[in-house]
Amino acid sequence: MKPVDVKELMINSLSADTNTEDAMRKLEDKGVKYSFSEGFRDKVMLSIFSAATTVNREVEFIRSMNSIFYRIALTGVAAIVILLLSIFLTQGSLSFNSFLGLSDSYDESIVCLLTGN
Amino acid sequence: MIKESYKSLVEDELVKSSLEGDKNAFGEIVTRYQGMVARTIKGMLGDSVFSEDIGQEVFIKLYYSLSEFRGEAKLSTYIQKIAVNLTLNEIKKRKRFLSIFSQKGNSEMHEFEVADQDYEGRKDANEIVTKGLMKMEPKFRIILTMRMLQGYSTKETAEILDLPLGTVLSRLSRAQEQLKGILNKLS
Repeated sequence: MKPVDVKELMINSLSADTNTEDAMRKLEDKGVKYSFSEGFRDKVMLSIFSAATTVNREVEFIRSMNSIFYRIALTGVAAIVILLLSIFLTQGSLSFNSFLGLSDSYDESIVCLLTGN
Repeated sequence: MIKESYKSLVEDELVKSSLEGDKNAFGEIVTRYQGMVARTIKGMLGDSVFSEDIGQEVFIKLYYSLSEFRGEAKLSTYIQKIAVNLTLNEIKKRKRFLSIFSQKGNSEMHEFEVADQDYEGRKDANEIVTKGLMKMEPKFRIILTMRMLQGYSTKETAEILDLPLGTVLSRLSRAQEQLKGILNKLS
């Protein structure tokens, strides 16, 4: 096909009443072909399904973090209970002062310092 | 044997199997429509290194939106729409890039020569088509790609591009005028 014929075919394919399928076939016969490289399908499949694997790994990681969090939280609660129990046994009450390790007596120097009396 | 059995499946069966997690069924969809997608993308962007990446993006997007495909239109039309949208987005990105880094960003023709290569002196069919396409404005280039490389009718072109038939008809005649000017300069 001469360059003039190719140009004419291109221009004619933009006419509303042209049989475009015919024009397309003629161009294909003359080597006007567009295709992706070999192995394109495999690349697509790899991108899709390796991405899916990554997502699954993320989900697994979040699940394992959740179970670890529950274990840490339970251990923390148990430690608090043991601490309260030991305070109650040693101090005889669960008041705020006993919780902070302070005795009931005031430190008068601090009171003087704060109030000025 | 497995490949042969998938080849005989119709679009709906392939979509259904893909949604059920059958990788080979989706692979068959890729095999069937990769040529069509390549024609659209390479017709619009030229044979650049990015064309294949966008081709992959088309099928990845298809895979994740397959559940939204209701079967009202042909699967090929659905894929074609994804390809057209991603290609036009890529052209917009490049246009923005050119307008930032080049003073010629707003000139009429140069900005559309996205994959123009040194074809001077070579006049075979492939080069003429590629050069002619690359010199056109994207809105006309997409029409020429749909008509000349995909063989779509005016109605099908309007459906894929989501444009009224009248708009496609007017763009056809304007694209034809632009193409005539471009091809005359090529000779």
